[in-house]
Amino acid sequence: MGKSWLRVYIIKRLIYAVIIALGILTITFVLVRVGPSSPADKYLANLAAKGQDIAQVTAAIEARYGLDKPIWQQYIDYIGNLLRGNLGWSFSTSMPVIDLIKTHWIYSFQLILLSSIFAAVLGILIGIYSAVKQYTKTDYVFTFLSFIGVSIPSFWLGVMLILVFSVKLGIFKSYYDTALPLFSLENLKALVLPVMTLGTGMLAGYVRYTRSSMLDNLRKGFITTARAKGLPERTVIGKHAFRNALLPLVTIIMFDLGSIVFGGAYLTEIVFGIPGLGQVSFNAIFAHDYPVVMSITLIGTFMVLFINMATDIAYTYLDPRIRYD
Amino acid sequence: MDNNVLKVNNLKTYFYTRHGTARAVNGIDFEVKHGECLCLVGESGCGKTVTALSILRLVESPPGKIVDGEVLYNNLDLTKCRIKRLRQIRGKDIAMVFQEAQSALNPVLTISDQIIEQIMLHLPLNKKEAHSRACGLLEEMGIPSVERVMNVYPHQLSGGMKQRALIAMGLSCNPQILIADEPTTAVDVTIKAQILDIFRDLKRKRQMSLLFITHDLAVVSEIGDRAVVLYGGKDVETAPVSEIIDNPKHPYTVGLIGCIPDISQTTGRLASIPGTIPSPLELPPGCPFHPRCSRVMDICRHQEPSYISISHTHKVSCFLYQ
Repeated sequence: MGKSWLRVYIIKRLIYAVIIALGILTITFVLVRVGPSSPADKYLANLAAKGQDIAQVTAAIEARYGLDKPIWQQYIDYIGNLLRGNLGWSFSTSMPVIDLIKTHWIYSFQLILLSSIFAAVLGILIGIYSAVKQYTKTDYVFTFLSFIGVSIPSFWLGVMLILVFSVKLGIFKSYYDTALPLFSLENLKALVLPVMTLGTGMLAGYVRYTRSSMLDNLRKGFITTARAKGLPERTVIGKHAFRNALLPLVTIIMFDLGSIVFGGAYLTEIVFGIPGLGQVSFNAIFAHDYPVVMSITLIGTFMVLFINMATDIAYTYLDPRIRYD
Repeated sequence: MDNNVLKVNNLKTYFYTRHGTARAVNGIDFEVKHGECLCLVGESGCGKTVTALSILRLVESPPGKIVDGEVLYNNLDLTKCRIKRLRQIRGKDIAMVFQEAQSALNPVLTISDQIIEQIMLHLPLNKKEAHSRACGLLEEMGIPSVERVMNVYPHQLSGGMKQRALIAMGLSCNPQILIADEPTTAVDVTIKAQILDIFRDLKRKRQMSLLFITHDLAVVSEIGDRAVVLYGGKDVETAPVSEIIDNPKHPYTVGLIGCIPDISQTTGRLASIPGTIPSPLELPPGCPFHPRCSRVMDICRHQEPSYISISHTHKVSCFLYQ
């Protein structure tokens, strides 16, 4: 069965994505610039102390970065550069924004990827187990733990994990060591606490959702049909029930992925000193480093738009009843 | 009595709920003979479906539990045999067709996935052979453009087609016994006639026993050889279909026959049995039918009638005949 309507749908979604991204960019552009301070402030404090003419220096700095032009002119310049693939120049680190992102994205990426896998795999397995063993002691224990898990704020959990595992027990380091090679066991070990910090809330959520989604489907008629066929329980649960339970899970997992790109990973990176994009963006906001803030917002926006689109496409494969035409 | 393929003795399946124990099946006896079509008849809630599910131990547990009795298939008690052995029998020796094809088919798997899965589980065939076997079965069910139907998902088929696909699935491993749970309830009248034709054909062509569950006496008279009438989780009468229709003994069966509307009489209200079927949570003492029975006697209120033979083929559970 062909899915020719899917291509039309994807093209339509891509056009929407560009429009949405432009809207978000514009809003961010205006928001960061209407703030009362300027990126020059930091220098000025230093220079003023050395007895230089502040007005002159300000003008020089602003002229250098094009900040003396009217805001609409700056906006057009910015979009023009962006279209040519130029993300701009970071004031605070004195390097092209693209280089800054190139050196830091991998730290965020590995954290987000590992946390998501950790939460999804473990959450789904525990959820299925809980559903199959509904109302047993193990199910009650998992259910209780998952309630605690969803209620704990991640930054607090991070601090607690550091207290227990690095301060008291000394098993893991309390900060992330950037000197470690990326693909090494030591690096993986260094990521254990951050991944637990970021992943626990999600994991607990997935346990809850998987359990209820599985319970819904285990009561359906086709499960009795599957058992009446003589299929082993493993196939009944793994193939017939889980395939049907997957749809709401994919929605939630993908939504989480989108929101940790923007939210959760920031806090975790800061707690553990991981030099990822969250940390970079956090510093850039305080330094009024507009191009960096803009670029990271842009990356986040595209990530979320892409994830949403991927989710919608995944639906059509998971549930043949879903069509978008 | 040697040609019994399935024998159900004193089967009791209870559900343990918050509101108490629901005695859905409360001591049912019947046997299915080789090559015959036995109908289980009764109103909704009388325990028909639970009986069918109990045969293959498919009752959801908890809350359901087979508390007593036996289901003998070739002298093997299916209520107690090992689950591994039971799985070899499910779908191969004893297959089931459920009432609502819409919910009985898995919405995210294609028809071919669902049929081939069962064939490959029980028969030593490779995927290609299983595929052609499945196609043959669908053709036998009178499904047009079989190759297309094989590759679609259940929602892309009409109700009648889904029911046919489900029957094909039930037949896929040449079962000895096919249990059909109200396969004509969820489809409209014309489809119902076609589905009944399929079953009639099957009975003739394959030497297969059919356990047909229905509330519809018209269906019983069309395809049944013998019928078991259930009430309140018990069988109240067993006889060849012609005798059930022409010479019913139990007052409940008499009432049921009386309820069949006569198309030539267009005036007046439809006949009905006064009262409602008892809740399996609170079965009345004595004969479960006594609160609704027009010929109730004193003894019916506190003593359960035993199941007695009034002729070689006719059994009834009523004090009128004891």
